[in-house]
Amino acid sequence: MTAATQTPAAAPSPVLTFLKQPLVVALTLIAALLLLGEALSPGFASGQQILRLLIVAALLGIVAAGQNLVILGGREGIDLSVGGVVSLSAIIGGNLMNGADSGILPAILGCIAAGAVIGLFNGLGVTLLRIPPLVMTLGMLGVLQGLLVVIRNGIPSGRAAPGLSQFVTQPFLFGLPGIIWLWVAIGLLMAFMLGRTVFGHRIYAIGSNEQAAFMAGVPVKRTRIALFMLSGAFAAVAGMCLIGYSGSSFANVGEQYMLPSIIAVVFGGTPLSGGKGGYTGTMAGAVLLVVLQSILTTVHIDESGRQMVFGATLLILMLFYGRGRAMRA
Amino acid sequence: MSKLIMRGVSKAYGATLALRRGDLTVEAGEVHVLIGSNGSGKSTLCKVLAGSVRPDGGEILIDNKPVTITGPHSARASGIGIFYQELSLAGHRTVAENICLPDMPGGIFVDRAALESRAQRYIALFDTVSGEGFSAEAVVENLRADQRQLVEIMKALATEAPITIFDEPTSALDRAQVDRFFDILRDLKAAGRSIIFISHRMDEIFAIGDRVTVIRDGETVGTKNIADTNPGEVIRLMVGGQDELAPGASAPPAEAADRKAPVLTVSRFFGKGFANVGFEVAKGEILGFGGLHGQGQSAVLRAIFGATPSNGGTLTLAGSTFTPSDPRAAIRRGLAYVSGDRSRDGVIQGRPILENVTPIHYLRQKLFLARPSALAERVKPALEALHTKFAGLGYSINSLSGGNQQKIVIARWLIDRPDVLLLDDPTKGIDLSAKADLFALIRQLAAEGMGIVLYSSEDAELLNNADRILVFNGGAVRRELTGAERTRYNLYQAAYEAA
Repeated sequence: MTAATQTPAAAPSPVLTFLKQPLVVALTLIAALLLLGEALSPGFASGQQILRLLIVAALLGIVAAGQNLVILGGREGIDLSVGGVVSLSAIIGGNLMNGADSGILPAILGCIAAGAVIGLFNGLGVTLLRIPPLVMTLGMLGVLQGLLVVIRNGIPSGRAAPGLSQFVTQPFLFGLPGIIWLWVAIGLLMAFMLGRTVFGHRIYAIGSNEQAAFMAGVPVKRTRIALFMLSGAFAAVAGMCLIGYSGSSFANVGEQYMLPSIIAVVFGGTPLSGGKGGYTGTMAGAVLLVVLQSILTTVHIDESGRQMVFGATLLILMLFYGRGRAMRA
Repeated sequence: MSKLIMRGVSKAYGATLALRRGDLTVEAGEVHVLIGSNGSGKSTLCKVLAGSVRPDGGEILIDNKPVTITGPHSARASGIGIFYQELSLAGHRTVAENICLPDMPGGIFVDRAALESRAQRYIALFDTVSGEGFSAEAVVENLRADQRQLVEIMKALATEAPITIFDEPTSALDRAQVDRFFDILRDLKAAGRSIIFISHRMDEIFAIGDRVTVIRDGETVGTKNIADTNPGEVIRLMVGGQDELAPGASAPPAEAADRKAPVLTVSRFFGKGFANVGFEVAKGEILGFGGLHGQGQSAVLRAIFGATPSNGGTLTLAGSTFTPSDPRAAIRRGLAYVSGDRSRDGVIQGRPILENVTPIHYLRQKLFLARPSALAERVKPALEALHTKFAGLGYSINSLSGGNQQKIVIARWLIDRPDVLLLDDPTKGIDLSAKADLFALIRQLAAEGMGIVLYSSEDAELLNNADRILVFNGGAVRRELTGAERTRYNLYQAAYEAA
């Protein structure tokens, strides 16, 4: 009987395995970048500044939660429409609130509903019409951008309710603003969902081997549609928080989230091929990107330069994780 | 002087010896039939000749000169052409382009005129039987299955190779098309060309063949002149000395005498790859599906499970009639299906063993939460029944050997017992001890009242484990073997009968 349990070939040392974990890599890089920032511009790593970075990271992290789910689901899953949903949600939310606290609840519900409906269309297009996710969500992004122009006619409108602004920017519990607690809650919820629910196991199953999942009775299409709907809903929540952060919405505020949300996921250890990874790493990835962005701002690199750095970061990451992908195939 | 001599050709895939000692001698101007049961090594011998497999040993002589075939290209250079059983056509291209694909006329740019005229020569050969819509300009994708097979034949003919291999070239053709094809083969023979012909239709073999070489268990066991032999003798050569049931083979179990009520009934079932299939499985019975590869056995099982569409038929499971829709519905009804292609249909790669063993349990129990400790308790008996070895449920399934991976995949069906277990060549590529464990478990499950359908491409497995065997041929059940009829001879005879 030789068919005993085989240890994976060439087991590396535990220390090396630990150091290679995406989460550890990301946290180390975050610390290094903070030190670098402090050296370049004293005060960069002050408590107040770090808190501000965390708020911005929470916004990105919430968008990346949905992105993460869609990518985990495999079959080239990706949601390029998140930026459009963030912008749309900021407008819808701003108009429903119009500066009054009484409008917060309708705004939240309205935004999440709108995001989920957009996700539903994405999901239906991908599953029933078999449009590749890249094409489907890119098309959706185009539609949303057009819609934004039509709705607003180019004029900014809508204001955040004071309650929402306070929630996002002012200390709420233990000196931390509410949005950070919201993010932590989302993190716990994601970890629970992915690790301890049947739905979570289905996500990994369809991401890893869709055919095997189908043969084992997993409702593949329904699950995938749900992932896109969750992605839309998360982006909508982020859009709401964003208007709370900036006070009012302006043209295409969400655009800046598309690429970073994907980078955060990949940085966090979820390969673009899906089927493995999780959200904890993505959270670290989001913080890392925000710190990086802040450093670039500190050294006076403008928006276009930052975009170039981000794009290059994604490509370099693909180079790193590309090997892992090849091993899976 | 023989045109082609292959002597002592051997080939091992890992630990499996696919070909022990393959000998084949083909004369110029003959149609030489190659025959052997599933896994006998005849395909491997052909692949060696076609250059798609490098042999481990042996020699090949063409026109008495030793040749080394290193790949498909060098096979062509040595004068060997092949018809592929699996369609190898470019679907979006025209008939003419496909026919000339192995050797496009022109240099960097294709010479359209030469291409058309060359293709036309072969198209003209089948003019009377190729049917409507068949022309040089027709796009292959839009053709019927038989017309596509004709294109394959034309493509093989167009190589004008002195030695041409036809591996089951007639499976989709009608009578008139086969007759025309055989006329063409006779013309080629008269022109001194050598044809190696593989078919599972005894009548065709005897209609077109000059000589027949039989391969059994990776060894050439004999070559006969067709004129001096008969189907019975050929089948006896294929069977060899292994006719009777192997020791330890189940005598028909006691239950078979007072056959219990059927748990699964299938009648007038139609679908892609099979037609008008009907059978019953009783509680506690192991029903075997036999015959050559790809005669509809898998297709029927997958269609019952709803993994592939079917059109028409009456299916009854445990008293209630159903129409297959998808695996999810099938699982809920109490069906289970284990595929032999575990990397495609079974294993959820890179995920923990726990997640690989629980999906059916989730569905049957309508679970929402996955509590590892509770699940571990539930899956333990199923894993123990199969003697599965693993370090822990949290380890990736990829840390297991193939046999243990398949055990995990099977175990997922046993946590909540199904009424009927469909096994689709479940032992493909797993080690001997895992096979023994599996068949012991299957017998036990049957004894506990489960109905089991077992398709196996290994005839010994089937003969040793099935209470009853349905022999498939050309997408239909040709013969039912019960009790003492379950012999290799009967199995092969039915498998090679005219479809």
